[in-house]
Parts: sequence; C-alpha cells; structure tokens
Amino acid sequence: MERQSFSRRFIIPVFIIFIIISVAFVGYSYAWRLGSPFLHHLLASLLGPLYFLLVAFGPLFVYPVAYFRGASPKERVIASLINPFLWMTKECIRLYASFTLLECLYFYLNLLNIWLILGLGIQIGVAELLCRKRLKGLGRDIQVFDVRICALLGTCLLLFVLMYACGEGEGIWSVYLEGYRRLFHSGV
Amino acid sequence: MSTKETIDDSNGFNSLLSRRDMLKYLGMATASGVLNLSLLKELQALTLATQPKEIRPNIIFILSDNCRWDHLGFKKHPFIQTPGLDRLACEGVVFENAFNTTSLCSPSRASILTGTYAHTHGVKNNHTAWTGSKTTFLEYLKQAGYDTAFIGKWHMPGKGLPEMPFLDQFVSYTYREGQGSYFDCPMLVNGKPVQAQNYITREVTDYAIAFMQRKRMNPDGSKRPFCIYLSHRSAHPPYKTPADIKGMYANAKVDLPPEVDAWFSKAEGNVFQGIMTSSYENQYRKYCEVITVMDRDIQRLLDKIEALGLRENTLVIYASDNGMLWGEHRMHGIREAYEESLRVPFIVRCPWLIRDPGGRRSQMALNIDVAPTILDLAGIPVPKDMEGISLAPSLGNADVPGRNAFLVEFWKYFPENTPTYVGVRTQTHKYVDFEKGRIPWLFDLTADPRERINLYNTPEANKLLPELKSMLKGLQEGKRY
Repeated sequence: MERQSFSRRFIIPVFIIFIIISVAFVGYSYAWRLGSPFLHHLLASLLGPLYFLLVAFGPLFVYPVAYFRGASPKERVIASLINPFLWMTKECIRLYASFTLLECLYFYLNLLNIWLILGLGIQIGVAELLCRKRLKGLGRDIQVFDVRICALLGTCLLLFVLMYACGEGEGIWSVYLEGYRRLFHSGV
Repeated sequence: MSTKETIDDSNGFNSLLSRRDMLKYLGMATASGVLNLSLLKELQALTLATQPKEIRPNIIFILSDNCRWDHLGFKKHPFIQTPGLDRLACEGVVFENAFNTTSLCSPSRASILTGTYAHTHGVKNNHTAWTGSKTTFLEYLKQAGYDTAFIGKWHMPGKGLPEMPFLDQFVSYTYREGQGSYFDCPMLVNGKPVQAQNYITREVTDYAIAFMQRKRMNPDGSKRPFCIYLSHRSAHPPYKTPADIKGMYANAKVDLPPEVDAWFSKAEGNVFQGIMTSSYENQYRKYCEVITVMDRDIQRLLDKIEALGLRENTLVIYASDNGMLWGEHRMHGIREAYEESLRVPFIVRCPWLIRDPGGRRSQMALNIDVAPTILDLAGIPVPKDMEGISLAPSLGNADVPGRNAFLVEFWKYFPENTPTYVGVRTQTHKYVDFEKGRIPWLFDLTADPRERINLYNTPEANKLLPELKSMLKGLQEGKRY
C-alpha cells in the first residue's frame, strides 16, 4: 500500500475513535442531568454501549485503517493501544480522588485492565490476519498466517480464558489485592 | 439475672433497678397501704415476667450482608417477600433508626463483635488484619458458661481464620477473600475443610440448628445456654439463587432512582462491585431474590426454635453489617456516608422483656451496641472498654431516651473510590469531613431526608458547624451524646 502521511496513517484513525469515545463518555455521564428521564435513558442506551464498545474494540477500526494507510507494524500496534491506555489513565485519575499517586499507578494492573490488554492482543492478531487476507484477495503476494501473529493470538486467548476460569476472575483478583496489601499494607 | 451490686456499668439495664429491689419496694408499698393486694399480684407478675424462665437466655444473632433496612416485607417494599423477618418483627421490636458506624464489611463486623468503633478495634478496612486485640462478646459469653458458635461469613483479613478457642463451633470459609460462594462453598468446620452440600444460607442454617439441638448439661445437671452467631453471605454479590427462587422477581416493577440507567453497573468502577454482567435492574432483582432465600432459612430457624421449646428464653437479634446504595446519588455499593449505606435493619425478639411485640423503637441503635446488649441481657457486666450501649432498657420501654449522636468513620479501601472520612450523625443532621477529593457534607435530615442539598458553605451551615465539629471531636475522644 502507499505509505500515507503520519497524520493520515496514525493520528487520524486514533483521533476519530478518541473523539467518539469522548463524546459518548460525556454524553453518557451527563445524560442523567438533563432532567428528562426519556432523554436520559435514550442517550444512556445509545452512548453507554458505544462508549464501552469503542474502548474495548476500538482497535478493530484503528488497526485496519492504519494498516491500509501504510503504517508500520509498530505504528499500528501503538495506534491501537492509545485509546484504551487513555481510558485506563482516566480511571486511574478518577481514583486519585481517594488514593495516593502510587496506589493509582498500581491500579493500572487491575484485572479489568489485564483482560482489556489481552483482548487488545487478540484483536490486533485478528485484525492483522484479516488485513493480510484482504491484501491477498487483492492479488498481493502475502502470507496470511504468520507464526508470530498466531502465537500472539493464541497466548492472549489462552491467558484470557485461564484468568476467567480462575473463579470467574476472582482468583486473579485475590492475587491482585494481595499484591496491594504487600505493597501498601492496608493503605491506611 | 445479675443483681445491681455486681454490675459496674453505667449503661446496663440492671443498673436501673434490680429484681430484688423491685419486689422489696412493692412489698413496702403494700404494707403501707399504698397498694392493694390484687394490684401487688399484678405488679409481681409483671416483674417476674422481665426475667427469662432460665437464668441465662440463649442467644441467636443473625447477621446479613449488605441488606438494606428498607428491603423487608414489613417495610412495605414494593415486591420483596420476607415472611421470616416479618414474623420476627411481629414478635419482637424493630429499631427504626439503626446504623453501622463504618460502612464496610470487615470494620462493621469487628464493631459488632467487640462493641467498639473501628478506630478502637483497628480493623479499619477490608485490608486491615484482625488482630484479636479486643475481646469479642462470644469470648465473654464462653467465660460465663455459654456454649458458643460462629457460623458463616467471617470476612476479616488475616492469615486464614483466626484461632478462637473459646468457640465450641467455628464454621466459616476463606474462599474468595472470605466471601465464600452461594453454591459449592469450600468451608472450614473447626479447622477441617468441608465442601458445602447445599446453598450456603441453607448450609449454615443447618449447622446452627444442629448446634441448637445439642444436649448441653453441666455436671451438676443444670443446662448450659448457647449463643450462635449466624452470619449469612446474603446479600453479597455475585448474586446466585436456587432454582426455585431464581427469577422470582423477574417481572417485578423495579423503581430505581432516576439518576441511574441499565449501563450504570459498568460505569464508574462499578464492575469492581461484582456486577459485571447483565443490566443494573436485573442485578437489583437478583439482590432481592437472595434476600428472600436467606429469609426462608431464617424462617426455618425460627420454626426450629419454636419446635425445640426454646422460644421463651431465647434472644434473637437480626441485623446487617451495612446497607447498600442502589443508584441513589448515582452511586452503587456501600462505603458512603449516605443513609442508604449507613442504615441497617435491626430487629430484636426478647420475649421476657418486650411488652409490645410488633412495636417500634426510635432510639438510635448502632452496630457497636450489639455486644453490650447481648452481654447485658445475658446478665454479664458490660466491659468498660465497649463503646456501645446496651439497648436492653429500650426493649422493655419504648420511651427510654437514647443517644443523640454517633461517630461515623471510614478509611479508604482500594480500589473502591471513596476517600477516608469522619463525621457525626445526630438526630437531625449529618456532617461529614473528607480527607481529600470532596468538600464536606452537611445535610439537614429533617428537611432533606434524601440528602440532596449539601448545606456546607451556606449561612445555615455556618451556624450549625461549630456545634457539630465540637460534637465530632468529642465523639472521637470517647464522649457520648
């Protein structure tokens, strides 16, 4: 593919998702203040799922767009991770209302974030395979399946499932909390 | 019951007037012609009725988890059914103004066991280990000759379950940070691993019933009383119910606060409250269902008390460790100093003392009052280091004055986003001061019971705050109001 400008291959796909997530987040968070139950529930029903879906599955848009605009593998991966990482950071900042900076940094490692990162790994792997398949369909001489991509997909999927299998995630959650106690004791 | 001479507490029922003194004064009144004989007989019967038939009553304390004070059938909840607790309320009295002093599982439970505030017993949040530095009321009862059992959720941090040699039975679990599970819960019965065979509320109730049924005779032939601390997992998430209750409220009209919506369970960190799946409304329905299941087992327990002929000399208390916010103020869970989280259900059945079964009590009752009340009713002196008061006087007399204020405390609990706070709750107002992140709260609970208007920084607040701050300081120093 033609390698387009950095702005087109990297910034714009990330920014599009960022804008939609931001609008959905603000709209969802403040819908209840409009004073109209009908509008509140309508906006919540539309913007709530949009917000959560884009945080979780935004890479399925960003990665292919970056791919077909000539972004390098490194650029594609970083672009896919930016919005979820910004969301994680927002959550850490939210916690600063109650906790210290170090505790907020530890919050990056929470179970939900780990699952999200694994989910992102799966999506990046799937997106890469689909993009290669598309290119091959367009007549390019390209190998669809790559050992590294399959390894990434397989590892992320396995870890994702294993973590859930561990008491629906509560086993890992206990480990995470024990880690907190070892670092911060009771936090008080 | 102990006589006045042996009691050295300022808040126990027995410090008011002993049975012996009452009979003496009645006799004097009759001899002097003030009372006639028939009236004397009535009064004597009344006096004798304040005592249980046996010297020390049996005690059953039932503790639920996160159960709101208003989610009971007799509180006119729109659909929840709790016939067992409704019955208990009919046969006992309901404290309408009951609260926890730290709205979080472990600190509240430690307060219940020790009769002290969290800053005293030291279990400040669910990460702080239980050290046993404060004596529990179970240990005092054991020393006084009771058979004691702790059955159910312990949930205080530390290495596994604590050593409690004063317990004749200790049935609990460490699974899932001590929360256990509704089904297939791995348990520890006197230190030995046992797999629960039934739904957890049924399982722990079976243990309680078996303990009640034990023969307990002293070498001299007298009967030993028992105390059971029955701690249910209901209604802690994730909510799971047996097949016959599942879906019971599926068609119930749920009236959640207008500030929430179906996606609220996923927003603002609420997923860490164990409500990752399904809509907020469905989670609420399941919450109500687990309360109903627990109530069914409470009813079973009450039936068994009746069948064993233990009713007349068994004290039964039901309470919850804390309440629960279901979207009010656009918040979910516990921890907050709002009424929905601070208020707890509190029902006492004490047949030999309560004159008005089905009655209500307006006195403020706290989680720290459970231990002194139980000890007082068992005829055991209330230790001076307990910060709660015995509610026994108000059981027999609805007009006994109660406290006017209490201390509210909370320490941040990672990763739940509530900052450390301290506050005072009076009969009419609530003042809460936060360590960081929020401006203080001041609510006029009479004019604004739903706590919508924060009066802090208003002229009205400026008039009230000096007294409230002084009260807060006093409470923190151990004063009572």
